Amino acid sequence: MWTRVSDIDRMFGAMNLLHSRMNRLFTDYDRSYGTDAGWRVSGGTPKTNMYDLGDKLQVVAELPGVAKEDLNVRIQGNYLELSGSRKSDGPEGYKAHRIERGSSTFTRSFTLPVDVDSERVEAVLKDGVLKMILPKVEAAKPKQITVS
Amino acid sequence: MSERKDITTRQESISERNIKIPTVAPLVDIYENDEEILLHADMPGVKKEEITINIDNGRLELSGIRKMETSGATGWEEFGEVEYQRVFSVPQSIDVGKVNAELSDGVLKLHLPKAEAAKPRVIEIKAA
Repeated sequence: MWTRVSDIDRMFGAMNLLHSRMNRLFTDYDRSYGTDAGWRVSGGTPKTNMYDLGDKLQVVAELPGVAKEDLNVRIQGNYLELSGSRKSDGPEGYKAHRIERGSSTFTRSFTLPVDVDSERVEAVLKDGVLKMILPKVEAAKPKQITVS
Repeated sequence: MSERKDITTRQESISERNIKIPTVAPLVDIYENDEEILLHADMPGVKKEEITINIDNGRLELSGIRKMETSGATGWEEFGEVEYQRVFSVPQSIDVGKVNAELSDGVLKLHLPKAEAAKPRVIEIKAA
């Protein structure tokens, strides 16, 4: 009898594990790079995350294989545009067996929740991930109000 | 006769629940020339310490974990922590001892050199 909660948890855990193993079994042979997992850089637009850190915003983008020379960031007020290209890194004199990555150009624009100070934006591209710190303009920063 | 033992006793612990991060297959390009097979895999955000490459009995297993530190309130989130994992079959003619890999801009470049015996050889025909 499944009487304890941990037993039920464990049962579901085992089922989930089996499910993922089964999935992997088939996909290992030939994964079809469809829309299922939603992780693909679909349509050439990089995936991004945005976090609000109080007095600044942080935008993180997934850009594997993009050199920093090929990346452009434009900011105006609360408008942010990421554009760039990924050059094919296929070596010379090799026969290609499988090309899933390829080269691409991308543009993606965002409307940020607040205006940011474009002068003090920091952007770092490391390990194929772009991290941007966008300080909010003074007017948009949270203010502490003292109750008198 | 009391041979019955209570085999169901088990310690309860909260740590039995393990949090699994999603596993996805990285996109790869595979090239080959006379010298080697070259594999490029997109693994953005993965540090080189977090990548493991195992070659065993014609099976190449590639895996890497992306860890992410997040702070603040999430505005939107389209990607997160992930385990990249993919398995390939490699011919036995690969010289496993000479396999090397580099990681740059989130792209793993894995060089799989062919063993001497597997390289194509030009046979000269001598005039009789």
